[in-house]
Amino acid sequence: MLEIKDLYAGFDETEILKGISLSVKKGETHAIMGPNGSGKSTLAKILSGHPSYIVTSGEVLFEGENLLDLSTEERSLAGIFMGFQYPVEIPGVNNAEFLRMAYNARQVNEGKDEVDPLDFDDILQEKMDLLSMESKYKERSCNDGFSGGEKKKNEILQMAILRPLLSVLDETDSGLDIDALRVVADGVNRLKNKDNALILITHYQRLLDHIEPDFVHVLSKGTFVKSGGKDLAHDLEAQGYDWLTPTN
Amino acid sequence: MSSALAENKNSAESAFFSLHKTFLEKVKPHAELLPLNRSALGRFETLRFPDRKHEMFTFVNTKDLVTSSFSLQTENPVQSEFVRQHVYAGCEQSHLTLVDGILRPDLSDATALGTSVKIESLVEAAKSESVRNSLKISIEQENDVFASINSSFMKQGIGLRVFRNKQVGVPLQILHVSTGSGNGSVMTVPRVFVHLEPLAELKLITKYVGVKGNYFINAVQDFTVEDDAALTYTQVQADPDDAWHFSKNRILLKRNSRFFGCQASNGTRLVRHHSEARLSAPGGELELNGVSVLVEDEQAHNFIRIHHEADHCTSSQHFKNIINDRGRASFDGTVIVDKGAQLTNSGQLIDNLMLSDDGRADCKPNLMIFADDVKCAHGATVGQLDVNQLFYLKTRGLSELVAKKLLTRSFAESIIQKIPFPQVVKELNNTLLKKLEADHG
Ligand SMILES: Nc1ncnc2c1ncn2[C@@H]1O[C@H](COP(=O)(O)OP(=O)(O)OP(=O)(O)O)[C@@H](O)[C@H]1O
Ligand SMILES: [Mg+2]
Repeated sequence: MLEIKDLYAGFDETEILKGISLSVKKGETHAIMGPNGSGKSTLAKILSGHPSYIVTSGEVLFEGENLLDLSTEERSLAGIFMGFQYPVEIPGVNNAEFLRMAYNARQVNEGKDEVDPLDFDDILQEKMDLLSMESKYKERSCNDGFSGGEKKKNEILQMAILRPLLSVLDETDSGLDIDALRVVADGVNRLKNKDNALILITHYQRLLDHIEPDFVHVLSKGTFVKSGGKDLAHDLEAQGYDWLTPTN
Repeated sequence: MSSALAENKNSAESAFFSLHKTFLEKVKPHAELLPLNRSALGRFETLRFPDRKHEMFTFVNTKDLVTSSFSLQTENPVQSEFVRQHVYAGCEQSHLTLVDGILRPDLSDATALGTSVKIESLVEAAKSESVRNSLKISIEQENDVFASINSSFMKQGIGLRVFRNKQVGVPLQILHVSTGSGNGSVMTVPRVFVHLEPLAELKLITKYVGVKGNYFINAVQDFTVEDDAALTYTQVQADPDDAWHFSKNRILLKRNSRFFGCQASNGTRLVRHHSEARLSAPGGELELNGVSVLVEDEQAHNFIRIHHEADHCTSSQHFKNIINDRGRASFDGTVIVDKGAQLTNSGQLIDNLMLSDDGRADCKPNLMIFADDVKCAHGATVGQLDVNQLFYLKTRGLSELVAKKLLTRSFAESIIQKIPFPQVVKELNNTLLKKLEADHG
């Protein structure tokens, strides 16, 4: 589904990702762990096409297509979803209305009819129940004044509504208390099937207890320094990252 | 000032004096108003047309306006259908139509107001000593030359009085129709005098439209809100692009009275709103909000002076401009808090959203505080659409165009939503915000 080949990327001057390769097949769950500043969010944003980042070399294929040629919205419509580490507050944009616009953009892209607000409300309510979200989050502005945990739930709500092929969830667990984490993880698990794939970016084993990864990758200073099965996450939890990246 | 400019100014002023002569001889002022007209003319002689350095016109270039030659309004016919389409739903029996500044009973219907409101011509209203006096004082103290021009020519116009303890349920709409002209520019001087007696309440919507353009509407409105009375006021400026629109609102708030104002401006070649408010007794509350959407060469300027003369009053202002193409907006606002005006609470916020590189927004917020126990805050922003917000929306599959539109609308909506009349909100969503759609790409 996703094929990243020797990707170098960063900001104008600074190179942050230094030769990343990753292969994700449908049905798989990958976890990316690594110290602060190692480039995890940078990778996620590059996959979504954030305008501030520049790819200097390498290739990314998504479903056989050259992902880097697509605009952000085309990537979304092609089935990539990013759950933001820091979801953006958009005062004045009604959350339910925004979700409906996003849903309808997908409908239109697939040649289906747009749904009206009433019908959409049924779809939305079902997903909100799944995440035990109070209905007041429909009326409020998108992420505006939401707590950290509410924002993360709102991200997963969007994922549930858009049903992407590949979801890249950037620290969805941070800011969630353990009960909320369970609800969110259950939601993600229910959305998971053999045809889609998941990349979880996290610092903690905690999330991986609930959503079991097939592979764990450790990112450090812009490169993957170790990859393994789910047990690698346990080792990291126990020993930290220092043993992986001897200081030089 | 260069001599060429000075010459322009001088000839503009003599053109104005000769226009006033025409007014005295041909249009014939009302005997009751004539002393006021003369006093205002005297004021004009003192104030004179502004030059570029004039502190009240720092951001407003009036050269094209004052050097245009204007004739006075003639009574032009207006299709009743035109009026009907500009009367808001809910105001069918509570609207007053002024055509070129003159009340037209045949195009008005105030039956829904019952006996709570007295509506009369300005001449009738000025028979009351208190009205005459308040006009006289404001004319003598006038600092805005364009408002003194209005007073120099005022003849028609209306006086509204809401009687003591009458709360008018239905909104009243005042519709100003400018007919414009095919041959040469016309100046009109609408004058509206609104007086709320103690405990009275009124919801007023003023809308300015034009049949044709190329006119100069130079309006003045005087609002007196007595003790414990409340005025909810919405002003919609929707003149054609090639009109000049100047309006001055003079607001006098007495003890515990309230004025809640919202203004929406479409912009024209030159729009200038001047609001002058006095919180003259304790407990007054003033709120002024405004939004403008400017495209192409449209301009809209705000000049605001709020004077806190008494303690325990609050005033708040929030103005937003959306500027595309070569649009221009400015905000020049001063809040003055007198020595005795303790426990004043005042806020002022101006936000500009720039959608092009060629637009311009100027801001001059100013606080002059002479009391020590006050809470005052002000701020101004000028910015483009937020890159991260745009990115976020696009990661959800919204196109660049749709995402921009959504963010732009939401910027304006926070002001538009404050307008307490759903029919006006709906209209602005379809007119003001529609302007933006053609301009993105
Ligand atoms: N806007 C920016 N401009 C310049 N450098 C940036 C910017 N944002 C992030 N960086 C730098 O890029 C590097 C990688 O940041 P990134 O956010 O990808 O790390 P991360 O692995 O997600 O860290 P964390 O675990 O803290 O979320 C860091 O050194 C960071 O300082
Ligand atoms: Mg990060």
